[in-house]
Amino acid sequence: MSSWPAEPKYISHSTARVDAPAKLTGSARYSSDIQEKGWLYGMILRSKWPSAKVTAVNLDKARAIPGIKAVVVAREAEFNVRYYGEEIAAVAGTSKQACLDALRAIEVKAEVRHEFVVNETEALKADSPRVWDNAPNAPTPHVHENGNVDTAFPGCAAVIEGFYTTAVQVHNPMETHGNTVSWTDEGVTAWASTQGITSVRDGLAGALQLDHSKVRVITDFMGGGFGAKFGPGVEGVLAAKLSKAAGAPVRLMLTRFDEALAVGNRPSSFQKIKIGASADGLLQAFDAENYGTAGIGGGADAGGGGGGADIPMPYIYKVPNTRVKQSAVAINAGSARAFRAPGHPPASYGMESAMDDLAAKLAMDPLELRLKNDPSEIRQREYKLGAEKFGWKQKYQKPGSSPGVVKTGIGCAGAAWGGSRGDRNTQGDATINPDGSIEFRLGVQDLGTGTKTVIAVVAAEMLGLKPEQITVRVGDTNFPYGPGSGGSTTCPSVSPTVFDICTKALEQLQTQSGMADVRGENWFAACKKLGVSPLVVHGKWQPGLSTDHACGVQFAEVEVDTETGLVTVKKILGVHDCGLIINQITLESQINGGIISGMGYALYEERVMDDLSGVVLNPNFETYKLPGIADVPDIEIVLINMPERGVIGIGEPATVATAGAIANAVFNAIGVRVSSLPITPAKILAALGKVPPPVHA
Amino acid sequence: MKAFQYATAHSTDSARELVAGNGLYLAGGNDLFGLLKEYLVGADLLVNIKSLPGLNKVEHGKTFWTIGSLVTVAEIEDHAEIKKVFPGLHDAAAEIASQQIRNVATVGGNLAQHSRCWYFRHRDTQCLKKHGDLCYARDGENRYHSLFTGNSCISPVVSSLATTFAALDATAIVLRDGQETRMSMAELYHGAWENPLAHNSLDKGDLILRVEIPTTRTRSAYLQVSDKHAFDWALVSCAAAAAVVDGKLKSPRVALGSISPVPHQVEAANSFLDGKVLDDATATQAADLILKDAKPLEHNAYKVPMAHAIIRRTLLKLKGDA
Ligand SMILES: Cc1cc2nc3c(=O)[nH]c(=O)nc-3n(C[C@H](O)[C@H](O)[C@H](O)COP(=O)(O)OP(=O)(O)OC[C@H]3O[C@@H](n4cnc5c(N)ncnc54)[C@H](O)[C@@H]3O)c2cc1C
Ligand code: SF4
Repeated sequence: MSSWPAEPKYISHSTARVDAPAKLTGSARYSSDIQEKGWLYGMILRSKWPSAKVTAVNLDKARAIPGIKAVVVAREAEFNVRYYGEEIAAVAGTSKQACLDALRAIEVKAEVRHEFVVNETEALKADSPRVWDNAPNAPTPHVHENGNVDTAFPGCAAVIEGFYTTAVQVHNPMETHGNTVSWTDEGVTAWASTQGITSVRDGLAGALQLDHSKVRVITDFMGGGFGAKFGPGVEGVLAAKLSKAAGAPVRLMLTRFDEALAVGNRPSSFQKIKIGASADGLLQAFDAENYGTAGIGGGADAGGGGGGADIPMPYIYKVPNTRVKQSAVAINAGSARAFRAPGHPPASYGMESAMDDLAAKLAMDPLELRLKNDPSEIRQREYKLGAEKFGWKQKYQKPGSSPGVVKTGIGCAGAAWGGSRGDRNTQGDATINPDGSIEFRLGVQDLGTGTKTVIAVVAAEMLGLKPEQITVRVGDTNFPYGPGSGGSTTCPSVSPTVFDICTKALEQLQTQSGMADVRGENWFAACKKLGVSPLVVHGKWQPGLSTDHACGVQFAEVEVDTETGLVTVKKILGVHDCGLIINQITLESQINGGIISGMGYALYEERVMDDLSGVVLNPNFETYKLPGIADVPDIEIVLINMPERGVIGIGEPATVATAGAIANAVFNAIGVRVSSLPITPAKILAALGKVPPPVHA
Repeated sequence: MKAFQYATAHSTDSARELVAGNGLYLAGGNDLFGLLKEYLVGADLLVNIKSLPGLNKVEHGKTFWTIGSLVTVAEIEDHAEIKKVFPGLHDAAAEIASQQIRNVATVGGNLAQHSRCWYFRHRDTQCLKKHGDLCYARDGENRYHSLFTGNSCISPVVSSLATTFAALDATAIVLRDGQETRMSMAELYHGAWENPLAHNSLDKGDLILRVEIPTTRTRSAYLQVSDKHAFDWALVSCAAAAAVVDGKLKSPRVALGSISPVPHQVEAANSFLDGKVLDDATATQAADLILKDAKPLEHNAYKVPMAHAIIRRTLLKLKGDA
């Protein structure tokens, strides 16, 4: 079987992003920068009602607006809209303002329903309005049972009960969802802001009833997806229809306002957890009920993963007796989508909070409780290494024992991510020119995670060249097939593929040049012997070079101002593993991003909906709060390189443990649990018993 | 946004004339463009006032300083003398929004900015302030709203400058019907206290010319608490100013932002503090007085202890202890 070089020169070292200069100088063209000849702006008309039956959509007045070239409906009337922001129609025109005017000129006739529900706890009630006429908002919870919790609890030395809740989080990538689509007689070309060029192609082809071969998707640079950008979306299909109708390319990028409504989110969770341990701290019983909302998706289909609202419970721990009941509740809001480590951040937050509450009950150091119960050898190693680096022993004090008004606290939490060894169908090719230049083409996409750099690093290593000598092209469905970037699988998909391409390139170059060693300094001489025609090699994913299942633990240190409620994160230490490290600097960048995103989840981010009007109240970065640089602490990353395991992805495990670690640090500081994310100053003051009751006028 | 004409005024007279139809003054545009884009206000004509002569200056006199309405928030922040003479004003300016916004945000625009209530700012909720028939916030999502109000709207004043100007007992000089009218901060916002439709007391066409700050209060301090550490609105802000003679406060004033449609000031607290030596106990008593009649709602009651804490801290900062 193949194996990675034993003493690598680039692999496991740091190579700056190959596209850093293009990004820094602005020459990189993102999907939202595309300006095809004759392009038009596209925009979407959305429902103003959380629930209504649309009976007629009249586009005539919109068509008459100067500059408007096409107007199409999203669906043929009559149809139901089930949330504020659901798509109704779309327009294309020569200016943004023309489109805005046209949206206002579209006449929508609707039977507005005043019964709707946007709060998941309300939606659970028997008398709640229904999101779907013929299905209850919440299906009967499904139950998973192991052992017997009812007989196990009485035997426990310590039992705690908690109700831990997390808010709906919106992906909010910097680049909004959208595409430029050109539909001509030859077919469709879409410049998509996507994490799956192939899935966008297939989705578009399906929706437009075209052969897959007639649709080409290009994604040169894109500004993040976090799981919400796999398909063409309603917006992609509408852009295509507008393009056909207008006979021109249409750029339809969503607004920030739109992003909050209709293109995905992380489901909320309401986790009622009861957990018990024997006196020595070994977990004995775990009984949990969880519900959350995935928007309108919940009532009709309550499957797990990104589409449902289930989370893995009791997360990373093995408990002999467990009972887990879960259900997804439908509300009149946009559907959830996969979101960076679907299910895991809420699961980690809930379970790790319960662990610390249990540790307090047992009067045990929470790190010790983890070392006793965590079944993973790798995490055990990470906790020990991290505790040493972090100074856990020196810093740890009993919950609430920090003196003064501003209290300090520490906490930790663990992560697990299954992932996969990569998509075994991943392919790619390389063209080696007689002048020694070499170009790789793979049908994957780089979300900004550093995929292009990974390809350059692996190729440079294998060929004995420098990364800057490798030209990398990705993000085009005309290239050999590559998978969507989800599940932290891009790195383990492309690395073995590039390995294979390079192995074949070396073999063939040896044959064609007649030279025994064609690597490194011999490369150019060997290529010259190719004569006039380049050497084209095709490779595919190979087994044995990648694996799955990453772990990771994080430690947090916080300060809590007990008078104002402000939480300041002073430090996060992340100890992570992902098998063989390909490129350290972009790996660290992924972890930094994961931690910052996890901080947002812990302290700031929450989609706020209004019960009375059904709208999202914070469809902007003013009140949908994201961590800014002033909020970001000192982040320290410790990596465990395990070349023997092969390549594993990191994108998802990096963001899992942060919220749990921060929540536990807050608990450790103030001695009371804020059992709801985000942990705002208001909730801190409430937990401390300082908030007076409301006055009802 | 709706189509509009654009004109630049070169004198206050022409500004008033231009705005007289269906016009609006345009200064830095931070607030106005947001409102226009969401169709929350409309105008046939935007009157650019940035070229009005003489309004972009900071001038100091013996008894008072004058800050022109076109002075930017960044200019206040960067003004070395202001930092010494009115540290509270400096600190308030420095915490407003982001550097980019501060660079263009003007004093006049900051004082005249509209409500930030998320129902008011939402394009599809027709609340009282937008001539609808109910306040959505009162029984809805009111975490950012007022503890005090004189009407049914609970949208608080959010201008950090107004809070600080109130503590410094500054006066806004407003050109109204061709006459210069003097308004205290209480007067400048009284309209919003009484009338759910109003954001302040300015009538159509009123032009803020400058703000005068008396130098009698040699000390000032400002603090705010936000959910985040920067670039976030205050949940509660507090400014305090006073002279200190023989260790005792003279003419102290405390004002709070984000908890009332006006900068929240309680005369009883100011007179209680007058002549006192500041310590924890007096600061606490003052805070009690200031918050005495607070009417917390379902989601904003946290503002009471939060305000209490920063009143105390601002006062102690004034003393130079914290
Ligand atoms: C994200 C964000 C965060 C912010 N955070 C804060 C904060 O923490 N604290 C804070 O105080 N502010 C904050 N602001 C508000 C910002 O400071 C104001 O929007 C800005 O100061 C307005 O000034 P401008 O010159 O841009 O006004 P414009 O937008 O030009 O005008 C605003 C309004 O004032 C009127 N107007 C302007 N000048 C005059 C005048 N001379 N006389 C009469 N009327 C006039 C206009 O007609 C308009 O109605 C924030 C704004 C944003 C967007
Ligand atoms: S607080 Fe005022 S602005 Fe906000 S919803 Fe109520 S009436 Fe409207």
